[in-house]
Amino acid sequence: MGHRDFVHFYVNGKEHRVGGAAVFQTLSDYLRQDLYLCGTKVVCAEGDCGACSVLVLDRQRSQAPVTGSGSAYKAVNACIQYLYQIDGAHIVTVEGLKAQNAINAVQSAMVDQNGAQCGYCTPGFITTMCALAQDMQAGVSACGSKDKYKDKTTCIKDALTGNLCRCTGYEAIIQAGLAIDLDTFQPVADLYDLASIDESLQSTRQQSVSIQAAQRLVFVPADLDSALGFLAGQPGARIVSGGTDVSVNINKRGLLPDVILSTCLLSKNDATLTAITLDTASNTVIIGALTSLKNVEAFFAEHVPEFARVLWVFGSPQIRNAGTLAGNIANGSPIGDSLPFLFVAGATIDVASQARGRRSVAIDAFYKGYKQLDLAPDELIVGIRVPLTQEILRLYKVSRRQHLDISGFTAAFALSLEPTAMGAVPVIKKLRVALGGVAATVLRMRQIEDRAVGMTHDATTWAILGEMARSAIDPLSDVRGARDYRLTLARNIFDKFYLETSETGTAPREPICK
Amino acid sequence: MQIGHKTPKNPNIPHDSAIGHVSGTSVYIDDMPPAHNEVFVEIVPSPVAFGRIRSIDTSKALAVPGFVGAYTYRDLHHNKFGPITQDEILMAEDTVYFIGQAVVVVAAESRSAALAARRAVVLDIEELDPCLTVAEAIRRDQYLDRTYAIKRGDVEAAFAEADHIIEGHFSIAGADHFYLESQACIVYPQEYDQIVIHSSTQNPSEIQHVAAHLLGLNLNQVVVITKRMGGGFGGKECQSTHPAVMAAMVALKTRRPARLIYNKDDDMQWTGKRHPFENDYKVSFTDAGVITALQARLYADGGAYNDLSTAVVGRALTHIDNAYFLPNADVVGKIARTNFPPNTAFRGFGGPQGIITIENICEEIAAYLGMDAYDVRRANLYGVDERNTTHYGQLVANNTLPELFDTLLESSQYRERRATIDGFNQSSLTHLRGMAMTAVKFGISFTNKALNQANALVNIYLDGTIQVSTGATEMGQGVNTNIKMLVAEEFGIDYDKVIVMATSTEKNNNTSATAASAATDLNGSAAVNASRKLKERIAEVVAQHFASTETGMGAYPDRIVFADGYIYDSRKPSRRITFAEAVNLSYRERVSLGERGHYATSGIGFDWSLGQGAPFLYYTNGCAVSEVEIDRFTGDMRVLRTDILMDIGQSINPGLNRGQIVGAFVQGMGWLTTEDLRYTRNGALLTHSPTTYKIPNIYDLPATFICNTIQNDNKVNVRGTKAVGEPPLVLGISVWAAVKNALSYVSGESIPTLNTPACNEEILSRLTYYKRLLERQDNNNHAFNEGFYHDEASVLLPRARSHAAGRAVRSNLSGKRARSKSGKADKGVTA
Repeated sequence: MGHRDFVHFYVNGKEHRVGGAAVFQTLSDYLRQDLYLCGTKVVCAEGDCGACSVLVLDRQRSQAPVTGSGSAYKAVNACIQYLYQIDGAHIVTVEGLKAQNAINAVQSAMVDQNGAQCGYCTPGFITTMCALAQDMQAGVSACGSKDKYKDKTTCIKDALTGNLCRCTGYEAIIQAGLAIDLDTFQPVADLYDLASIDESLQSTRQQSVSIQAAQRLVFVPADLDSALGFLAGQPGARIVSGGTDVSVNINKRGLLPDVILSTCLLSKNDATLTAITLDTASNTVIIGALTSLKNVEAFFAEHVPEFARVLWVFGSPQIRNAGTLAGNIANGSPIGDSLPFLFVAGATIDVASQARGRRSVAIDAFYKGYKQLDLAPDELIVGIRVPLTQEILRLYKVSRRQHLDISGFTAAFALSLEPTAMGAVPVIKKLRVALGGVAATVLRMRQIEDRAVGMTHDATTWAILGEMARSAIDPLSDVRGARDYRLTLARNIFDKFYLETSETGTAPREPICK
Repeated sequence: MQIGHKTPKNPNIPHDSAIGHVSGTSVYIDDMPPAHNEVFVEIVPSPVAFGRIRSIDTSKALAVPGFVGAYTYRDLHHNKFGPITQDEILMAEDTVYFIGQAVVVVAAESRSAALAARRAVVLDIEELDPCLTVAEAIRRDQYLDRTYAIKRGDVEAAFAEADHIIEGHFSIAGADHFYLESQACIVYPQEYDQIVIHSSTQNPSEIQHVAAHLLGLNLNQVVVITKRMGGGFGGKECQSTHPAVMAAMVALKTRRPARLIYNKDDDMQWTGKRHPFENDYKVSFTDAGVITALQARLYADGGAYNDLSTAVVGRALTHIDNAYFLPNADVVGKIARTNFPPNTAFRGFGGPQGIITIENICEEIAAYLGMDAYDVRRANLYGVDERNTTHYGQLVANNTLPELFDTLLESSQYRERRATIDGFNQSSLTHLRGMAMTAVKFGISFTNKALNQANALVNIYLDGTIQVSTGATEMGQGVNTNIKMLVAEEFGIDYDKVIVMATSTEKNNNTSATAASAATDLNGSAAVNASRKLKERIAEVVAQHFASTETGMGAYPDRIVFADGYIYDSRKPSRRITFAEAVNLSYRERVSLGERGHYATSGIGFDWSLGQGAPFLYYTNGCAVSEVEIDRFTGDMRVLRTDILMDIGQSINPGLNRGQIVGAFVQGMGWLTTEDLRYTRNGALLTHSPTTYKIPNIYDLPATFICNTIQNDNKVNVRGTKAVGEPPLVLGISVWAAVKNALSYVSGESIPTLNTPACNEEILSRLTYYKRLLERQDNNNHAFNEGFYHDEASVLLPRARSHAAGRAVRSNLSGKRARSKSGKADKGVTA
């Protein structure tokens, strides 16, 4: 089958086919400058303020037609979605939310509660809150848990951590969220003829897209074989999935990849790449490389709440809707939020190439230096395997602000204790520790792990281990924290871990996502 | 003549743009459709903080496809301007004085071409040694403007007799406005060198003045229009001028519309911030914690040019008393000239920097005496009948501060919660709590008397609808909604019959900035004055109308009532005509249905040569209690609860005012907690986008948030209202003070010190410091690390002074009683 020379998507129910150099622009620029849909605002152009939030409907191949409530549309940051990332999608902007030309229940709640002051952040809040209203109607909390939400205010806050407002102080926006009349809110899916949109998009989705323009090449493979075939011929092509990091680097740091492979069609056509399953025989979670962080979060909320808790403060809902776990791994940053957990959990990365087929790499062998990966230029990450254990697990992230911030320091502990007699101090049987933000890669602290075995689980032991950690690392000072700060955190986190996992600890963990 | 009106029942109408905002149809500058021949403008900024320009090479820019033109200061008619002192250079001539100062302006056919042209310009600049701290400016003896001082009584005599004295140094950090819409303008050239400037500005008249001056035009050739801003917060009071003038220059040169939109990174790097201050203080007080004298030396970091620094320092000096009576005071302010972008207005305008200085002092007196800081504050509060004049001689009239304090103490359950916190801090090994009540007494009026005036234009149309135009600009605060309500209420008609138009210098001349919280006070009063003149004329006509058709009733215009959309004679309300009918009657009688109103605040004045006067029409008062919880191991802090109580007089629209209170509080909290401006050693801002500059997020709102107002009729102001825009920002200090209070539980015998912002790194630095200090005291070892900022490997510009200088120290107690710690039996040591 020949390749398409255009990307195919819908905006507010209208079909768009875009080819040539125009695909190398962001969705927000396309909306504002080509379509004059100026409701979508651009403030930071890096996914950190939410003013550009739009709703996206990505249909999996096997999915039944969407109608009514349910979290069909998800909010993403249009400023870091390039047009080559939205092939096969239906985009709804703030201009596309009115029903019968009247403002909807979310919009009227924001009007009535004074949720808008200067109005510049408002369209982004409105679109995100419409996704929230869908979730609320379906009884799904913002973090994706199937548990019916218990606390509406928490639910609203969780949904809106990706939207900054400088005027209101958020109180009125929370009030608006509480005031949404869910009985009259018409789900976005009901405003459009999704069946015909689906039919139209289905007609092109089996065809890969190849566009060469302005000395640049973008390939959107329709299946994994095409992807690996393309990489064999174009090793080192920049792979873009959610784009939550790559697109930021294009916008802000002068990155201009000549050759791009966009996975947006793969994630719609190949269910194995977006599936997340628990293999009960090996007690291992198998995560498709293109599974969104939001879906990873929802899955782990049931199986490893501690990891879901870290994902809860990972970026924002918009980032987690677009971003993938494989992307966080491939980005390779020493402050990647998911990595310390994957290190102590002993995760393995499955990679594939046309020439050599598949292989697996243990995660701590995957990083060879600052952003240096054990990943050949023709290889693609296809999956992540995470063994589940019964160990005591604690994950920590320290950042300037709790939500929507990049960490300055991260830590993960997995601990098992020898069973001891009643009243006796337990003895450490096995410990795995990983620290992030203290070196060029996330570090497994193997010396500490070895030393800990056989020591008693008490304050003295953990003070010794903390001092070992402080001596073992050599962190940098940067904008997220001074060297001394990181050294102190590395030392203190051992005390914190001990107090939280021993009976003498007085403060329980802070509340986690409902 | 008194003509009656009736206030409608529900004043909580939505913001007049709310439906447009939620629909995405509200138009901001960059949403305006491009004209066919429009050019895009980009600025080539100075990349260095201080340097001499050797050469400028634009040849590569000329080769960029779509290039239209490149311009320098030589293309301006004049190059010097400034709102107070005319010391600012718009475009660099031979020397650059800050990173982001415009050197070249380029214009091109498209956004991308303009950006490519900007990048193609090559600047060769010889770097000079920049001045990047207040301390360095003091060393170099370089200041902007003169020294300002306020003195009362004899501080030296008070110090000589004092029970106790604390001396200290306090570093106050700046903050970025982070309005979501960055600076933006479009300029349309007209006939005969006239220009129309659409700008996202708080100050259209200022742009008109500077553009005319720098481009060699008369003021009447320049029209500036502001529909709305996507946030301002003071950042668009003076600094929207720069892009507007440069775009206007391009529009005149090219005879084409010119659009100049800053992106967020450029905006944050190029524009001024809240003024950082470095303050030295010396305070004496009695055993009961009553302040007897305050001496303070305030050093504001003004940046490269004065901008509004003179007035900012003035407001810091007039607000250093805050809610507390200072029998003897000697406060002096100076403006350090450094190589940062000129620091500028930011909500509060120096007031917060003055106020946090004395709120910090209150915490230190409390820690020193072992008292609860609430009791220190209450003991020093301005009285109603005595101890009620400020250090600059103004009577604190209609003083609601004692009522606010006493009410909030009860409603916040301060005492009970204090006991709980004491217990918590003793038992918890993982967390530490603190709580503080702080106050605000914010003077309302521009300290420059001439600015306290406004004009308004009210036009009535034959269908009974009204357009109002004033000098006030809408930035989300709801001033247009307030004015619309005031006018509608005057005429007794529905709110939706009145539209407040875009602000234009064509309709309202010689206006003041929308600033100092006073836009509704001034412009609303002017609109009311215009409306009353129109009502008088309409009432004459209507009185005649009723008199001529009804037997036995003469024409008495003062008996005419405007209410509920109708007009009637109060002696016979059943016979009424609609407002639109009255307007038509008046039109047929050839009565003017348009009017200008003017308003000037009376009874205010201040003399800086004496440092005395009554600069403010009234004070907006309030107080807040915040309780915080700190993770002892990471320094992470969260606000568990905040209670706010304010006196904002009679609200025109309580819903909008609540939005101002909450929004300002959270903004003030952000300034003092997570918003951390970090610079390189060369003065380049590192935190120039939301990825690294963290304004409060939805989760940073206090977990429990209670916000109330008291009843008060502010008779000196329009409709009994009080200004509300800036004062609540100051209450964010309660969060910072609560952190300082928490530290007092672990600082042993030391009075804890805490810089701003109290981010987790700063908090952990202090926790670690006190932990080590106590350990070393145990070990009799003197050498220890002061904190995290002694790291020589750091690429970050350290704070101007270390914590060592910031520590409050006990002065010579002259043999008076030693410090009593008995009130703090619960002092614990961190685990």
